[in-house]
Amino acid sequence: MSSTFKIDIEELSSIPGVVIVRFQGSLESETIGAIEKIFTRVQMGDSVFAVADMGSVNLISSAALGELMGARKRLIELGGDLVLAGVILEIRTKLNLMGASKIFKIFNDVRSAINAYKWETGKKSEQVELTFPSNLKMVPAVRQLISRVARQKGYGNRDSFRIETIVDEICNNAIEHGLNDSNLNIGIKVDIDPDKIEIDVTNISDPEKIFSLKTHLKPEEHLEIQNDERRGRGLMLIKMLTDELTFNISEQGTVVHVKKVREE
Amino acid sequence: MDISFPYHIKLCFPGNLEYIPAVRKYISELLQISSFSPKFAYRSEIIVDELCNNAVNFGCRAEDARVELECTFFNDRIEFTIKDQGGLKENVDKLRSSLDSPVSGSDSGMMPHQGMGLEIVRMLSEKLDVKIDKENLTSVHVVRKRENSASE
Repeated sequence: MSSTFKIDIEELSSIPGVVIVRFQGSLESETIGAIEKIFTRVQMGDSVFAVADMGSVNLISSAALGELMGARKRLIELGGDLVLAGVILEIRTKLNLMGASKIFKIFNDVRSAINAYKWETGKKSEQVELTFPSNLKMVPAVRQLISRVARQKGYGNRDSFRIETIVDEICNNAIEHGLNDSNLNIGIKVDIDPDKIEIDVTNISDPEKIFSLKTHLKPEEHLEIQNDERRGRGLMLIKMLTDELTFNISEQGTVVHVKKVREE
Repeated sequence: MDISFPYHIKLCFPGNLEYIPAVRKYISELLQISSFSPKFAYRSEIIVDELCNNAVNFGCRAEDARVELECTFFNDRIEFTIKDQGGLKENVDKLRSSLDSPVSGSDSGMMPHQGMGLEIVRMLSEKLDVKIDKENLTSVHVVRKRENSASE
C-alpha cells in the first residue's frame, strides 16, 4: 500500500445518517482493500449517506474508482448515496474522461455536499433577501431573479413562471400602493425548500391608503371584482396561483405573504 | 417613473455557488435598465461572478453561511461591496497571498489557475479594496466607472 495513503471516517452528530470519509494521498490499486473495509464500516453503522472528501487526493487509479463505485451502489441500495467533494482540478478532469462524473455527484467542498443532502432530504430551506428602490422599472429584474433561483433549485418551468408572475404582481402592487417615494425601499424575503416557496414582500404604507387597503383586503372577505371594475384582477390572479395569501397592514408597512406549493 | 441616481440595492443569499448565475444576471439587468451599456453590464457581471465565487469558496465556513452583496448605482459609476461570514484560515491565507502577489506563484499553495480572478477584477475596475478582519470576515469593495461612449 502506498505510504502516503490515509483514510478515516468522521460521523456527524448534528446530521444523523451522514458520514464524511476523508481520503489523503494516492488511491492506487493497493488501497482498494482499505477502501472496501471503511465502507463496510459505514454500512454497518447507521449512516447511508457518505461524502468522500477528496481534497487531499492526488491520484486515483481505475481500481480504486471501481471500489468507490461499488461502495456507492451498495449505499444506494440502502437508500443513501456516496458523493465526492473537493476534488482537485486534475483529478476532476480524469474523472470526466473516465465518465465517472456522470455517475458520482461531485461537489466543490464538503459543506456544499452536506447542504445538498439537507436540501434533498427536506431538512433545510434556503433564504434569499433583497431590498430595492420603490420603482416599477426595477420589477422585471427582481421577478427574473426569483424565477431563476427557483429554476436553479429544481423547480420546473411552469412553477418558475408562476412564481415569476406572483412576484411581479406583488411587487407592482407594493410600489403602486405604497408611499410614492423612489428613495424608499421594497423588501423581499424568499424562503425556498424542495416542496414549497414562501415569499414576503414589504413596503412602506401610504398613510392615505391604509384604510382603503384594510377595507379592500379584509381576510374574511373573498376577493371579488365587479364587472365594471378595470382594476383588482392582479390580486385575484395571485390568489389563483398561490396556496396561501395573507396581508399584514400597519402604519409601518404592508407585508404580503404568499405560499406556493411545488407542483411538478 | 424614471430611475433616479444614486440608488442602492442589497441582496443576501446562501453561500452556495448555484445562486451566483442568477445574482450576476440580476446586476447586469439592473445596469441595463439604468442606461449602462451592454458591454459595461457584461463586464460588471464578470466582477460580480468572480467576487461572489471567492466569497463562497473562501469565505463560507459555516453550513448556513451567507453572502451579502450591496450595490450603489450612480450616474457615472457602480460600487459593489461583497461580504462573507468568514472562511477557514487556510482559505483566507490563500486569498491574502493572491492579493499580495497578484498572479499567484507556485509557493502560495494555490493551484496554477487560482488567483487570476481577482486580477481580472482589478483590470476591470477603478478601485478594489479588500478588508479581512481578525475573524476572517472579508469585505470586498469595487468601484467601476462608466466608460466613455466613444470607447464602447
